Order: sequence, then C-alpha cells, then structure tokens
Amino acid sequence: MKKRFVFRFSPGTVKQPLISHLVREFDIDANIWNADISYGREGKLVVELEASEEAIQAGLEYTRSIGVHWSPLVKELQFRQDECVDCGSCTSVCFYGALSMNPTTWKLEFDPEQCVVCGLCIKACPLRLFSISREEEE
Amino acid sequence: MKTIEQINEKIRRGEAAVFTAEEVSKMAESMSPAEIARKADVVTTGTFGPMCSSGAFINFGHYNPPIRMEEVSLNDVPVYAGIAAVDSYIGATSESTFDETYGGAHVIEDLIAGRDVKLKARAKGTDCYPTREVQTVINKESVNEFYLFNPRNAYQNYPAAVNSRKSAIYTYMGTLMPHMENATYATSGELSPLLNDPALRTIGIGTRIFLGGTEGYVSWYGTQFNTRKEKNAYGIPAGNAATLAVIGNAKEMSTDYIRAAYFEKYGVSIFIGIGIPIPILDEDMARAVSIRNSQIETVVVDYGRTDKPVIGKVTYDQLRSGSIYIQGKQVKTGPLSSLEKARKIAAELKRWIEEGTFLLTQPVEMLPKDSFVRGLEQRS
Repeated sequence: MKKRFVFRFSPGTVKQPLISHLVREFDIDANIWNADISYGREGKLVVELEASEEAIQAGLEYTRSIGVHWSPLVKELQFRQDECVDCGSCTSVCFYGALSMNPTTWKLEFDPEQCVVCGLCIKACPLRLFSISREEEE
Repeated sequence: MKTIEQINEKIRRGEAAVFTAEEVSKMAESMSPAEIARKADVVTTGTFGPMCSSGAFINFGHYNPPIRMEEVSLNDVPVYAGIAAVDSYIGATSESTFDETYGGAHVIEDLIAGRDVKLKARAKGTDCYPTREVQTVINKESVNEFYLFNPRNAYQNYPAAVNSRKSAIYTYMGTLMPHMENATYATSGELSPLLNDPALRTIGIGTRIFLGGTEGYVSWYGTQFNTRKEKNAYGIPAGNAATLAVIGNAKEMSTDYIRAAYFEKYGVSIFIGIGIPIPILDEDMARAVSIRNSQIETVVVDYGRTDKPVIGKVTYDQLRSGSIYIQGKQVKTGPLSSLEKARKIAAELKRWIEEGTFLLTQPVEMLPKDSFVRGLEQRS
C-alpha cells in the first residue's frame, strides 16, 4: 500500500529521527516530497509511505506516540481538463510524470497518482486551468 | 506540372487528392517526389500556438448624438482609438487596468464566444460629435465590423528555449527552470505552414487560408520578416525566419481555434489557429511538403542571458522525443503550441477542400525575396 501524509512537528519533536525509525523498525519505504523543518523549531513534512497496511498503521501509531501529529494528505491538484487546448506548456515543468503528452495523439494526459502537488503547473498553464484544492488537513 | 487553376477545377469536381502534411511526410518514406507530385494535388498544414502580434479591428457603430471616441476601453482593457470616430484596434497583448491576467486576447475570445463586453469611451466633444462619454455593452452582433488583423503570425520555425540561470525565469516561452532543467519549443514541425513551402513559392499576398476556424487571407508579409537566416540542406531556416500578416472575419471564428493566454510574469498573449493549403504544382513542391521532423532543425537559445546566445541545434524529432542533449546534459522538453489542434486544423482544411467549399488562390504578389530584421538604436 502507498499513502501520502502530512507530519506536523512541534518544537519538542523535531529532534526525533522519525523517518529513519519508520524505515528501520516498521519496514516502511518513505519518500519525502516536501520538508520544511528547522532544528529546534516546528515544521511540516509531506511524505509518501509504502508498506503493508498493518506496518503503516503501526508506524503512524508510533509517530503519534512521540508527539508528531499526522493527517492524510488531502491537498490535490484540480484541473479543468475540458478547457485544455493540449499545448503542453505544463509538461515541461512536471518532473514527476503526472502531466505528459501522449506520444501518439499529443493530447495532454494527467495522472493524479504521480502528482506531488508541487504547483509548478499552476503558473505554467497559459489558460490558468490548474489550482490546488483548498481543503485543509485535519 | 499542374497549375492552381487545374487543381481548382479538380476541387470543384470533387476529385482533388488532398493530404495533410503529416500524411504526405509518411508517404514520402516509400514514394519519390515525382510519384507524390502525380498522386497529390494539395497538402494541408496547421499550427496552433501563442502569437502575440495579433489583434482585431472593431467598428462600434455610431451613438446618438454621436461621439468621436478618443479614449476607449473594452472590459477595462485599453483599445487604440486614434482612427476616425468609432473605429478601434484592440491588440491581443493590451492588459486590463485592473487585472494583468486579462487582456485584449480575452476580449477577442469573449466577443468570438458571443459574450457581452463593457465599452467605455470618452471624448472632448466637438460640434459634429458632441457626446463626451459613453458607457454601454457590445457583442459581435451589435458591432458593424469585427475582424482579426494580425501583423505577425505563423513564424517559419522558432528557436527552442532554455535557462542557464540559478533560478527559474518566466517568459513568453513558458516557465524555464534553472540550470537548463527544461527546454520549450513552439512550432508544429513537419505540419507547420511555412516549413512546407520554405522558399515561399506558393504562399503570398492574397493567399486564402484557414484562420481561427473560418476562411482568412494572407494580407501582407509579417513584421520582422527575415529571409537571411541560414538554411539547412532541405532549405529550412534554423530559427525564426519568414512571418505572415493575416486577416479574417472574427465574427465567423470559433473559440476552438482562437484562445486567450496569460504567461506568468510576462503578460497576455493569444493562441491563433492557422492552416495553409500548399498546391503540389511540381516535383519541387512535392519534395518540400515531404519534409520530416528529423530534417527540420532549430537552434536552442539561452533565455537566461540577456544576449540570448545560441547554445545548440536540435531537430523536431529530438524535441518531440521528450528530451534533448545540450552541452552533454539531458534536458526535458515540452511544447508550447498544440500539435493536437494543429492536426485538427490541417484535417478541417483538408475536409473543406475535399468538399469543394475552399478553393486555392494564386498570390496577388509574392513575399519579399530579401528582407532582414533591424534593431533599434539610441540616437538623438
């Protein structure tokens, strides 16, 4: 199973080597998408975890037990595809393969599974068709 | 050898053999130019990309009592009104006083879509035009004339863009990531109009074309028309060369083929759909339309430096593959113009010709044989 989470650290919890613990003790593969954490201060980490459901559950329980709050990542890219002209401007800034041109039809293809919600496409689209959902994490 | 009149006769009888430029490039893999010249009468091309040098003339109709409009805006976008009383020109890149992401291109798209647009006009008031201020709403049905007149469209080739700086830059070539992490390019390659007649033997002033979903015309050579770019073995200039000024009735156009654009931190531009039919008069024209993406080269320019140096040369085959190599580095590529739309345009124009509703034209005058681009110098 692969799932995305937002971890929120308070000043007292940033010293914990959380990710390496999740990898070693719970056998979870962790892919960090975004990290904004300063030593001794609070921070936020966006991470994709891959392991069995039980392992992820156990890892999340451990995470909460050391005082790091987590929530599933709910921010996602919104795309008004019906208005798209398939120019492809967004594909040159998408380095995760979420936005790509079909090599046969040259229509734009959007794969939300690959999207890391970096937001570069929002500015790159000349028709302003992308936005990030405003839904807040719990 | 065929003449345009002979081809038109076949079109009228519904017997013309019409192919898109992509179809004919495919045929050329197994057929000689002589065979193609015998088989094909017309080849259709297409492009759909941002073309900043575009705009529309509008005649608003006279108000009662009349006004000699001197300061005019449409949806708060300033419009040029220094021509007669109620004539105006709305440039695609003119921006709203209140919203830099909305401009002349959006007004043109709104009008084509049939939407109402707010007109504000002011004047000093004269004996024969006493009204000094008008605020009303117009649409394409209420105005007299509304036609596109684009000074520079359909560039014959265009350089690909990269950025060598340490931070991203925002350009009319899109978002260019730092350290040459991406490259953008703009033409439809082997489907592009002026790349299928690189010597401009058949396209000239008066040529009937597909413009924005309806019939239009080449009205003049485009601004910054350049015949002096170095050409490769196939006669293709590697970089921006010839251009076209085009004209057509915007009231008959469709937002499928005219769309407003906003480039981050650059400004407003407009996607224009253009298709040009190429008559296959002889073997030489058959050879020209057989051009393939692997034979079309363009230069790579570093937009991260103000002198915009050329730092490489690539083919459209390479650009379309998803990555190119520049100075030994693999660089991700992405288009700015829609090949999907360009194909639709070439297919639509092919259908018009096959149905006999679109006839080819002999140019009234050919485009310049020798022309170059001057810069602007500081003088006093």
